[in-house]
Amino acid sequence: MDDRLRETLSAMMDDEADELSVRRLLSHRDQARVRDQWQRWQQIRDLMHSGHTPAEGVDVSANVRAALDGRSEPPVRRSSLGNASAAARWRWPAVAMVAVALLVGFGAGAGWDSRDAAEAASAPVAAAQPLTDRSPTDAPVREVALQGLDEEQWQQMSQYLLEHAQHNSVGVGRGAVGYARVVSAGNGY
Amino acid sequence: MTQANLATADQLARTSGKTGKPSMTPEQNQTQGEHSDSQTDLQLVRKVRNGDRAAFDLLVVKYQTRVASIISRYVYDSQEVMDLTQETFVKAYRAIDRFRGDSAFYTWLYRIAVNTAKNFLESRGRRPQASADVSDAENFDDGIRLRDPASPERLLQREQLQEELSRAIAELPEELRSAFLLREYDGLSYEDIAKILECPIGTVRSRIFRARDAVDRHLGPLINHTETT
Repeated sequence: MDDRLRETLSAMMDDEADELSVRRLLSHRDQARVRDQWQRWQQIRDLMHSGHTPAEGVDVSANVRAALDGRSEPPVRRSSLGNASAAARWRWPAVAMVAVALLVGFGAGAGWDSRDAAEAASAPVAAAQPLTDRSPTDAPVREVALQGLDEEQWQQMSQYLLEHAQHNSVGVGRGAVGYARVVSAGNGY
Repeated sequence: MTQANLATADQLARTSGKTGKPSMTPEQNQTQGEHSDSQTDLQLVRKVRNGDRAAFDLLVVKYQTRVASIISRYVYDSQEVMDLTQETFVKAYRAIDRFRGDSAFYTWLYRIAVNTAKNFLESRGRRPQASADVSDAENFDDGIRLRDPASPERLLQREQLQEELSRAIAELPEELRSAFLLREYDGLSYEDIAKILECPIGTVRSRIFRARDAVDRHLGPLINHTETT
């Protein structure tokens, strides 16, 4: 880049270049040198006016060029997108769980007997299973507190817990979650 | 050169030789913000519309620090500021046909930057804390707003560069220094500088270029060094 072109560039810095000179400058074959010189003078101006050193400044020009050339996508904030997809992944299982809990709670309050309640509760839970990515062949695992009991003890304990939770949900109106938990434990989940 | 004009130029030269930066009134500060009615910007925008990517490159280099400063009023994470600055320019490029030239290019760019930052915050469920008016675009002082890491090493580099800048300006021949300072710190047009210095406009243009080139050569190694650290 010769001095005449650099002088044009300097005049452009000061908004004093005419259209023809600008056109000549932009048609120069080595635009990388034009850009470098322009950038250095802009950095000096930044230093003079705001005290910014080049290291404190910003240079996104290469990224913008790459984005516009299609070499990379415009900036995508992965963190926010990641959060959004994670939220979407959990939305339907959460809705299903809340729906089950409410159904069981209101059903129990309406006077189901324990067997009907168990059947009613197990159906929606089973319906929600595909949303939790559970394989149908997975063997049910008993609640930890119920492990080690023989069959008769386990039946008695389940019945006791079920009735206890049912009373809670009827009496307080806030026991649906506990009730659902016992029902699911009783079903081995 | 008249006595009064000599006094003005000498006063500027003396001040800059001592500190590298004379104090400026708000009016002076605004006049050096050359972006209010930039003919160069409009020329470059016309080139961009005709598909000249190099012209857009020059606009990016010219305004990227200011755009980042605007965005940093809303977003505090430096990486997010960089991403949003990039996004602002990509949006501006894609919407360049909608720039009608009713306002200065920088004002238009400023609006895009503010909207990009606000949209980002809303997408993250955050309410924008800062507010900005388009009228702020002309008076926006990026020197105040850009977040400063202010590490001891960075402060030392800044101090060294400022000292070298003062030295480089002080070492300029008087006629170059006067023209350069009247342009950079007083924001005067070449025509006004020519009147003050009583010389042709072409001479002013040449002097300012030579002054800028000399300062660049003086600071060059230091600037390259700070860019890599």
